[in-house]
Parts: sequence; structure tokens; C-alpha cells
Amino acid sequence: MRKSNFTSYFLVFFILSLLFVGISKTGFLNPLDALLKDIFSPVQTLTYGAFNRITGFGQNSEIQLLKNQNLSLAQKLVDQSKLIGDNKALRDQFQTASPKSPGLIPADVVGAPGFIPGLSFPEFLILNRGADDGVKTGDAVVYRNNLVGEVTQVSANLSGVTLLTNSSSLFTAKTLDTQAQGVVKGQGGGGVILDNVVLSESLKKDDLVLTNGNINAQNSGFPPDLTVGKIISVSKNPSDLFQKADIQPLIDLKSLEKVFVVVNYR
Amino acid sequence: MKFLAIILLLLALVLEISITTIPFVFLVLLCLTVVLRENWLFLLAFIFGLLFDLLSFKTLGVSGVFLTAFMFLVLLYQSKFEITTGYFVLIASFVGSLLFLLLQGYTQVILIQALVSSIIALLLFKSIQKFNKPLEDISR
Repeated sequence: MRKSNFTSYFLVFFILSLLFVGISKTGFLNPLDALLKDIFSPVQTLTYGAFNRITGFGQNSEIQLLKNQNLSLAQKLVDQSKLIGDNKALRDQFQTASPKSPGLIPADVVGAPGFIPGLSFPEFLILNRGADDGVKTGDAVVYRNNLVGEVTQVSANLSGVTLLTNSSSLFTAKTLDTQAQGVVKGQGGGGVILDNVVLSESLKKDDLVLTNGNINAQNSGFPPDLTVGKIISVSKNPSDLFQKADIQPLIDLKSLEKVFVVVNYR
Repeated sequence: MKFLAIILLLLALVLEISITTIPFVFLVLLCLTVVLRENWLFLLAFIFGLLFDLLSFKTLGVSGVFLTAFMFLVLLYQSKFEITTGYFVLIASFVGSLLFLLLQGYTQVILIQALVSSIIALLLFKSIQKFNKPLEDISR
């Protein structure tokens, strides 16, 4: 192939690509975007589902059952703790807490790119719900009252979710038993830590970590008391300003197929 | 061969947007460029770059810019070196994958991912080369 021959082809498509970078910022391509996502979404779902079946093949059903029971028990523990708090407030101040029922949209996970499918933690999830369904940037994504992540990108029919384990994930949280306040930071590769906890507060192994809640005026953000995970180890050094703890999410973020987007928290 | 290239790229695209961060679209394009050295591959790089950006929530055109630029560099090298070799594919795919992963904002184990990518590229290159040989003989 002669140099001048391929140089002209390169220049045409390179400049076209650059043009698209500019045009995409204007939103002019949104209809095309929606159409192509509609076409590819079923294929994505099928591929992701098929790989989940393959990697999940041979998993002990009893272990899966115990995992589900564990999730239910953790949920009951959080509910019970909340009820005790509500009851105390009622007794003390004769006030009832307003019922909080978040508006949930069920969504299928259509993509979860990770290094090795089914083994590596995905960097983000792609859901088959978008702006047309009422999903907006900043909405929380949950599974059985467990926090999965935050919607960070939205198109008409799809949305991108940054997982709580992603290294860009950062939000405030508290522990269930000791009510220690801290900042949850994703570490990438499935790791999550509760950091910036002052030394005077108590952190203990197996305590659950819950979201503090950061719903904003646009009604997006994390509702309070979503389970982030449980503490598996605490690192406390008297010479440090803060202590931190490693958290393990209670749900398997690698094999999620259905999640819920919190779109209207009241 | 055009039909096979499109099928390979579609398969790579589906894998990349659904289950893995390994840059399959880039690897397929690189191997096709090294073996075929055809101008229409720039068109495929542009189209599949756009599709990838669309379906993975990236800024439209960014992957197209990278893919076309990398292909251009590879073709520029053909006047200086023999590019239809396993060594060239290994090195080019390692460097290219590393850059592509960084461009996509991935941070997890990218060196290992680039290494795995280069091994996949080598296997792909050998397969395409084998498949292309009989076709070349027929066209002669």
C-alpha cells in the first residue's frame, strides 16, 4: 500500500471522528444514539446473561440459598434497628416518623465489562433503563436494600452505573451498631473501605455499614440506611488521625442481573 | 474478507460492551490492518469506534480518533519494518491496549490486561493470517 494512498483515507476518517467529538457535545446525535442503543440492548442482555449462566454453572445451590438468607437477615437487622429508633422517638416526642417509600424502577443489567468475565469485578454496569423511564444522573441503584452504585451516565434508553466499589465512588456512611460516622471509598477491584472515622469512635468487625443519605433538591442521591456491606477488618493506629475499616458488600456485584433504580425518594 | 472482518468486529463489539474490558475491537482492527493493509479498514475503524462510544457511554468519536490514528501509525511502520510478524503484533497490541485502556479511564490491572490483550492479538493474527492465505491463493 502506498503511503499517500492510506494517508488520505486516514485524514478523512480522523477528521470525521474529531467532528463527531464536537457534534456529540451538542446533543444533535441523541436520536441516533437512542436507535442504536435500542438495537444493541437485547444483544447486550443476551450476551451478559449467557456469560453469567456459564460462570455461575456449578455453583452450589445451597451456598446460594444461604447467601440469600444472609441478605434477608441483614435486611431484618437494619429494619429492626430502625424500628427501635422510631419507637424510641415516638415514646419520647410523640411523633411518628413519616413513612419512606422510595419509587423503584426495576432494571436489567445489560452490560458489566470487567477484565475476566464473571471473575473480575466490573468497573461499571449498564442498565436497560434511561431518561425516558425517569432515570437521572445521581440516582441510587439498589438490590434488596443493598446499595449497588450511582447512576452517572444517562441516555434515552440506557444508563451507566458507577459501582460502589469503583475507585471514584465516595460518600458518607455510618455503622449500624456503633453509629460511627465515616466516608466510604471504593478501591477498585471489589474493595471498599470506611475511612476518615475519628479514633474516638468505635468500629467493630461484622458491624453493618449503612448510607447516611444525601438526597438533594432534585430528588436524587443515596437514601439513608441502605446497606453498603459489613466490616471485615479494622485498622486503627493511635498515631493516625483517623481509623479505617475494610468493608465487604453483602451482594455479589459480579453476577447481578436485576437491580432497582431509586427515582423518587419520599 | 470484508464480510469476515465485519463479523469479527461485531463479535468483538458485543463482547466489549457487555462483559469485558479487554479492547477486542482494537485488537481485531490491529490484526486486520497488519494482515490485509487495506484502506477500507479505516472506514470500519471509524464506524466501530462510533458504535463502541455510543454503547459504552463514551464521548462519540474518541475511540474513532484513537483507532484511526493507531492504524495510521502501524501502516507508516511498514516502510521501515516488516510488520507482518508475531513480534510486531505483540508489541503493537500491548502498547495500543495500554493506551486504549487508559483512554477509556480504566484503572484496574491494566498492565495485565494489556499483556493478555497482546497474547489474544497474537492468536488472532495467526488465525487471520492462516485464513487469509487460501483466499489470497484463490484470488491469484
